[in-house]
Amino acid sequence: MSAVLADTAAPAARTGERRPVRRRRIRPGKILLSALGLLMALVWVFPVYWMMNSAVTPDAILGADTPQLLPVSFTLTNLRSVLTDSGFLNALGMSVMVTFLTITLVLAFAFLAALAISRWRFRGRTSFILAVLFIQMLPAEGLFIAQYQMMSSLGLLNQVIGISVLYVAMLVPFTVWMLRGFVAGVPIELEEAAMVDGLSRPRAFLRITFPLLAPGLVASGVYAFLQAWNEFTTALVILPAESAQTLPIWLRSFLSASANRGINWAEVMAASTLIAVPVIVFFLFVQGRMTSGLVSGAVKG
Amino acid sequence: MTLTTGRTAGSDGIAIRRRRTPATPYLLLIPAVAALLVGLGYPVYWQIITSLQEFGLMQQFGAPPEFIGLDNYTRIFTDPEVWSVVAKSIAFCLVNALVTVGLGLGLAVLMRAVPGWVRMSMQITLLLAWATPLVAAVTVFRWLFDDRNGVVNWMFVQLGRENLDGYNWLGNVWTFFLVASLVVIWMSVPFVALSIYAGLTQVSEEVLEAARIDGAGSRQILWRIIMPLVRPVIAIVLLLQIIWDLRVFAQIRLLQDAGAPISETNLLGNYIYELGVGSQDFAGAAAVSLFVLVLTMVLSGPYVRYLMKEDAA
Amino acid sequence: MKRTRLVAAAAASTITLTLALTACSSDTTDTGSEGTESEAAGEPEAADLTMWVAGGDTPDELREYLVETFEAENEGSTLTIEEQDWGDLVTKLTTALPDAENTPDVVELGNTQAPTFTNAGAFREISPELYEELGGDDLLPSFVEAGSVDGTVYALPYYFGSRYMFYRADIWSDAGLEVPTTLDEFGEAVKELRTDDMSGFALGGQDWRNGISWIFAHDGELAVKEGDEWVSTLSDENTIAGLEQWQDVYQGASNLPATDRDVAYWDFLNDTAEGGAPDAATIMAPGWARWSIGDLTENDEGEEVRDGMADADKFDIFALPGVDGGVAPVFAGGSNMAVSAQSQHPELAENLLRVIYSDEYQTMLAENGLGPANTEFTSVMETDKFGEVTVETAENSKLTPAAPGWAAVEGASVYEELFQKIAEGGDVAELAAEYDETITPMLNGQAG
Repeated sequence: MSAVLADTAAPAARTGERRPVRRRRIRPGKILLSALGLLMALVWVFPVYWMMNSAVTPDAILGADTPQLLPVSFTLTNLRSVLTDSGFLNALGMSVMVTFLTITLVLAFAFLAALAISRWRFRGRTSFILAVLFIQMLPAEGLFIAQYQMMSSLGLLNQVIGISVLYVAMLVPFTVWMLRGFVAGVPIELEEAAMVDGLSRPRAFLRITFPLLAPGLVASGVYAFLQAWNEFTTALVILPAESAQTLPIWLRSFLSASANRGINWAEVMAASTLIAVPVIVFFLFVQGRMTSGLVSGAVKG
Repeated sequence: MTLTTGRTAGSDGIAIRRRRTPATPYLLLIPAVAALLVGLGYPVYWQIITSLQEFGLMQQFGAPPEFIGLDNYTRIFTDPEVWSVVAKSIAFCLVNALVTVGLGLGLAVLMRAVPGWVRMSMQITLLLAWATPLVAAVTVFRWLFDDRNGVVNWMFVQLGRENLDGYNWLGNVWTFFLVASLVVIWMSVPFVALSIYAGLTQVSEEVLEAARIDGAGSRQILWRIIMPLVRPVIAIVLLLQIIWDLRVFAQIRLLQDAGAPISETNLLGNYIYELGVGSQDFAGAAAVSLFVLVLTMVLSGPYVRYLMKEDAA
Repeated sequence: MKRTRLVAAAAASTITLTLALTACSSDTTDTGSEGTESEAAGEPEAADLTMWVAGGDTPDELREYLVETFEAENEGSTLTIEEQDWGDLVTKLTTALPDAENTPDVVELGNTQAPTFTNAGAFREISPELYEELGGDDLLPSFVEAGSVDGTVYALPYYFGSRYMFYRADIWSDAGLEVPTTLDEFGEAVKELRTDDMSGFALGGQDWRNGISWIFAHDGELAVKEGDEWVSTLSDENTIAGLEQWQDVYQGASNLPATDRDVAYWDFLNDTAEGGAPDAATIMAPGWARWSIGDLTENDEGEEVRDGMADADKFDIFALPGVDGGVAPVFAGGSNMAVSAQSQHPELAENLLRVIYSDEYQTMLAENGLGPANTEFTSVMETDKFGEVTVETAENSKLTPAAPGWAAVEGASVYEELFQKIAEGGDVAELAAEYDETITPMLNGQAG
């Protein structure tokens, strides 16, 4: 069953968007469903909206008994005071570097491994797949002493490389799992046909197979991006220096410093917004490819 | 599990190359395996050794640890608190995973049924929620449910529930887990919904057309044709949700910062962390971690076997 | 079975890898540890020192002073001060202190955390000569005790902070109440002040750090050392008397939920945003809270700030009275300072201690409202009413038990739970007996 789906994966995903047009008819049921859909959209967007709304409202007004549902007291003070916090830009730089390095390595390593397990049957293949699945089940919260010792003895504490090594190990398993569905979904016959036409295998792979895998790489990249951008526990231990903080650590210390003086929710929400915006931009950027990509990987499982 | 590999030979849908002595796949695996060994090898080795030792703060500061065999395991298995945390974690994980997948499925089906612009707004809002970083999301929910100025309490008061004025959601174990579940579900539904929706778009229109011509109602089409086709997607996202929801840590910890009763709201990850950092019982923490690993493997065992079978087919 | 082999192989190859990597990366060390072991006797070799301060209590001005003075006195050396979050301090101390390569040289840690790390051997011994030089018996004795094992000193006091009763003088006098002279009077007064919208005394149910003052006032103890073992003494009759009185005050005077901790009480004392009556008539808080209390005014940069209780007829303070009058012994918050046992530059670290315990720095602490480590300088604080109350309470202040497992008890939030259950109306004697059993093994460092 899954093989059939995987075969049609790439083309179907693209045409799927347009299909419902064919049977457009206004029915009361449809209107009700649309209303429900919009309601759900509203529920899901509300926390994000409220975060942004609070970020541009003065703290004194947030403390009032009746909340303002619209940003009528618009101000940029909160955002400005977060941006001038010495730690923010530093942490942003750190997060960008760590995330970038992690994604690059994870995608490269996982892609090669996915290629191996979806195109060859070999001794140890099942063990590898199982190991990759089970590794994700080990709780990371008990590992921090060993992780620290290891990074310290390698001289990699507070370094982009050190934390990235741990993230790569953490993310490779799932990414392999996700990518192998995509790789299996690209029929090898296409590549072989290109070889008959005189291309070498590496060239045939690069020209023919690789472009078809792009959505899969984007979807896996998004996953790795989110994980690396959000990770919190390991970063706390492996990046102890203030100058090496990533954004989640920075936001937490910002919050607790604020809690010490009675939380300034306006500034905290401004800080949260600033952390979320790069991710949202990235998402909107890769959006189209991602949704279509998501599936074929998942379908193949 | 070895059985599955044994009988793969015959039935390949996709092209899979079988060679006598394939060196290439092993070469391709080297970077991934090396990354796993470098990143996890020593920590896992340390964890296994430590779980067999007496290892507290003294040992961390250089006192030679003493080998005590399985004493740590005996200790944790006889501690009722461990079992209560295990029970809470499993319940939390199952409820959240099922609700998440159920909601995700519902939203995916809904997205198929509504006009394009509604679907577009749903997709964008789901993406926004998905893109919100974890720390920011938890912080926002703390603010939404803030006892003094939170908008949730205000809404309840507007709706006539005066008794919720100033209610501290994070102070009570049950409402704490309610808020934690809302955060977890809010954050994970987008992945599930978009995955399943993408799976739904692959159901070929011709098949549906044929079914309609044969007189199948929309309900029948949904349950008889669409569901079986997207079953593999649902299976995999459910497994992932179960694994991930059993491991929630940061969400709980960040919510506890707001002043929750810590020992009663700990789930497995937090319990392990508290045992290590709070009580400096690193050996106990290591033993619980390995126990959780085995527990997850056992719980997901039948499921994994099913997936491996699908893989071989 | 395959898995065991896999794991073993993984472990083995990683170790080889680790060794290989260490060999080729030994020159990439991080902050503050470039020096080698080749320090000659006498003048310590110049190096980069790292000091950790906990939380934001040490003002910037004092940090700058430490850096400038240290660098001037130790030519060629530099000092980096890093601020650590209180919430993550124990995690970071646990991982960084045993690590010779990356340990901070000098660390500040909470006085309640000091015994645990001192007992584990985390700190370098303060020699008797150095101890004398840094202040000797003038250093706060209860803090020195928290940092000592069998008469050897490892961690010194850094500062202490007293807690004051901040109150709305206008509201108290409108109600015809005077500053109470006994703990009973205090309880009755704040119960009388309570309305549905205003706590007579705002107190969170989980806030045991303020709550234990009631235990201390009744001559109770949280735990005592009997022979070699620490024993939790919640069931002691004095302790129970204190807890019961606290329960009575919480239930009668506070509108805060039983689940609230040491929250930002100070805001409760201010008039509300709409200019209405405050949320509380009385709070208990550290001295620096005054800068968050008062009427709104504009500072030089045009920002709205509180005026620091300028209107003495509206905002004022007093010391928590004792059971039979006088001043109740309150819990002294504060912290200790120690040199890491793994510091690669112990002489320089000791030079930094010399700066910290210098007359100038102790004076600066006192001037900034932090109770100085050296009691000789406490009098510097007496210039205003805060100083006077500090000095009054300092003589009477108490610390939590210096048991090796104390940090574990705090880390597991055991007292938060106990106080919450008492606040919710639980039977004090029963709860005390129950928690004695939980706490005693934890105090002695046995995992609970």
